[in-house]
Amino acid sequence: MISALFAILVFPGILFVSAFSLAAEFADRKIHARLQNRVGPPWFQPLADFIKLLGKAELIPTNARPLIFSITPVFALASAITAYLYVPLWTKDALFSFNGDVIVVLYLLTIPTMAFFIGGWYSTSLYAKIGSVRLMTQLFAYEVPLFIGILSGALLADTWSLYGIALFYHNNPMFRFFNIIGFAVSLIALMGKLEKVPFDIPEAETEIVAGVCTEYSGKFLALFRLALDVEMVVGASLLAAVYLPSGMSLGPIAGFAVYIVEIFFIVALISLLRTVFARLRIDQMVSFCWKYMAPLGIAQLLINLIVKAVLIK
Amino acid sequence: MAIKAVKKILTWARIKSPWIIHFNTGACNACDIEIIAALTPRYDLERFGVLLKGTPRHADVLVCSGPVTKEVEPRLKRIYEQMVEPKFVIAVGTCACTGGVFSGCYNIKGGIDTVIPVSAYIPGCPVSPKAIIDGTVKLLVSLEEKK
Repeated sequence: MISALFAILVFPGILFVSAFSLAAEFADRKIHARLQNRVGPPWFQPLADFIKLLGKAELIPTNARPLIFSITPVFALASAITAYLYVPLWTKDALFSFNGDVIVVLYLLTIPTMAFFIGGWYSTSLYAKIGSVRLMTQLFAYEVPLFIGILSGALLADTWSLYGIALFYHNNPMFRFFNIIGFAVSLIALMGKLEKVPFDIPEAETEIVAGVCTEYSGKFLALFRLALDVEMVVGASLLAAVYLPSGMSLGPIAGFAVYIVEIFFIVALISLLRTVFARLRIDQMVSFCWKYMAPLGIAQLLINLIVKAVLIK
Repeated sequence: MAIKAVKKILTWARIKSPWIIHFNTGACNACDIEIIAALTPRYDLERFGVLLKGTPRHADVLVCSGPVTKEVEPRLKRIYEQMVEPKFVIAVGTCACTGGVFSGCYNIKGGIDTVIPVSAYIPGCPVSPKAIIDGTVKLLVSLEEKK
């Protein structure tokens, strides 16, 4: 009972993942600033933003449904944190694991996007509605490459549990080099999920104010922002578990350090890409995902099938 | 005691993370260009936690430039009302402070403070980005003193 409460509230639950995701947001913003030749925010910036937003009053628009408007941020954050329970892997015994958890994590990662959509739609602001529709359109574009990318790694490992996948690639380290295409596809699709710059169409500041979050203020906005940060950490951990599992035999402390380094490596990749590219249009984004990313994902699937037939049998 | 500590943390967070929204109430555009210049990598306001936001719901500080024209007056009031407490207003430029050379015109109401309460005045025609940063920092320091 107490250990379950500890797992939910402290480690690897709410407290740890919140602190970790705020650190990841700081790393993202600092690297972004340094790449633009700026000084960048101080280390406590995401925390100060979060506390300030918690301390502000919140305003619910007259036309919005108060219940749905105020409950969706909680849903987004809760599902993102729940998804985190299954992904951190740094020792040979996983914290929580069952066969099929990779599917559960992928679906739990979809819930925040749905929550953003519903929240934006019910806030009845025109900008928020346009943002919601763009969010949904984008969801249909990046979700398929992301699923194909992650699941082709699982296919090669012949298991549906993240722990099994990580263990397989840990025991057969050379096999992960077959997955390079899958890693690239999943990373780019993850950027679509996180609404990072080439795919920040749903919250495009210069066009539709702030998109889905336009009407959100105060603690609701704080929860939404935290949910996005947690999503970034969960997505990065997912990629780390499937594509670059390492340090599993180093013991808990060194393994944990390796895990943290991996996450910050993926976050650095994301912020590098978001600095380099400019925003796409929604139709460009959709056609890019379906014309290039989905076929690449399927190519990865075929490669893994052939590798499995030739090398593993 | 606990309430005092919470208040202290909140004040700290407010000082470290002022998000701004920029609104042109009828300026000649010179002050707007200088405000944008203050946000560029050369001056890098993000090191003080300043972010430019598109919607008044997210913003803490309303940065106004220019004298209030009669057309823009109701809109300025609405934007001010859409912001969430606690909120502050900075008047950037001589025209925003007093009406400047436009005061007395048939279509001008006057400075920003004739319509909404203003927390900080930054004079200049146009204001230099350094003055804007200085004014913002002074506003934030005054927050700390007020408690």
